[in-house]
Amino acid sequence: MKKVFVIFGFLAAILATVLAVTPLSNIAIIPIIVAFVSGLMILYISKKEESKPKTIQYIFLLVIISLSLTIYKGLSSSTEIGDTEQLEQRDEENLEDSIDILDDIDIEE
Amino acid sequence: MLTVIYPFLKPILMKHFILLFTVVLSTVNHAQNKTINAGEKLVFTASYNMSGILTDIAQLKMETSQVKTSRSTLMRLKCTATTYKKWDNFFKIRDLYESYVSPKTLKPYLYKRDISEGGYYKFMQYKYNHKAKLVNSLKRKKNKKGETWDEKNTFNIGTNTRDIVTTLYHIRNLDIHKASPGDQQEFNVLFDNKENTIVVKYLKKETISTALGKKECYKLALSVKGSDVLKGSNSNLLWLTADNNKVPVYAKFKIAVGSGELRIVSAEGLKH
Repeated sequence: MKKVFVIFGFLAAILATVLAVTPLSNIAIIPIIVAFVSGLMILYISKKEESKPKTIQYIFLLVIISLSLTIYKGLSSSTEIGDTEQLEQRDEENLEDSIDILDDIDIEE
Repeated sequence: MLTVIYPFLKPILMKHFILLFTVVLSTVNHAQNKTINAGEKLVFTASYNMSGILTDIAQLKMETSQVKTSRSTLMRLKCTATTYKKWDNFFKIRDLYESYVSPKTLKPYLYKRDISEGGYYKFMQYKYNHKAKLVNSLKRKKNKKGETWDEKNTFNIGTNTRDIVTTLYHIRNLDIHKASPGDQQEFNVLFDNKENTIVVKYLKKETISTALGKKECYKLALSVKGSDVLKGSNSNLLWLTADNNKVPVYAKFKIAVGSGELRIVSAEGLKH
């Protein structure tokens, strides 16, 4: 039983760290919770069995890293758009080109 | 002989005549533009839904402006999509869709689609010839070396065939207040050199809260006939304000890779 939680907890913690690095950082919350709950379960089982819960340190470490990254990103990143210079240039070029094309089209009013 | 079979033929002929009359009437009667004004600017946020958590992906803008050519004055309907900064390193989108229409009837004359999505570039242009019911299309693509090549085509279209941008604005110009819940209408939309049929169904009136305040809206369901681009029935929804401006304030869509939504951020230069 403990092994299942260790594997599950590790996988969730790694997934959370990976997601926290990507722009999908707010989705990392789900694996963070899963990893945290798994960690608590390992702690509980270890106490019951009176064995040392070594793996829990790594799971919690990953959870802390991903949680801090997620919180930092959530607070710092504003929803601002990237550079639009190229788009604006294409927009202008298209407009000029369109006016030339429209001059040749018969328009019924 | 004819007098014998005429009583049997009469109901069939009448039925065909009514159908023909309706078709002719609908094609002749080009709806006047009562909704769209030049100088209108609508800004939206597109979000992707993953396991119930929404992530803002891109900003969408719908703008209209007046364009003067040497022979006439037209209205330019422009839609742009730009990914937010944090997404640019992963998947940069800079899309431009535009259509040049008659400001009186919203009849399209020229359509352009200039898209750049994560290194993929495509340009499409439709030049309408309404008299001959033809469209001259131009497709331009870029290969990995950056070289471009053109592909030209000419094909027939129906009287009421429009591009995707014009269709969006045309839906806003419909007399939805005259429709009753459950009514639906089909639109022929030209996309990627193919004519698709979009079915728009009016579901009901609904009041939703938006960035523009609490608004009473027309709730419409959209689907594409014979295609599975949009998944599920009644899961692709559009809310238009139930006033004369019919501003699209909220949309929900479901595609193969998940679902998402569009929320209005601001609206400027409305006609009413």
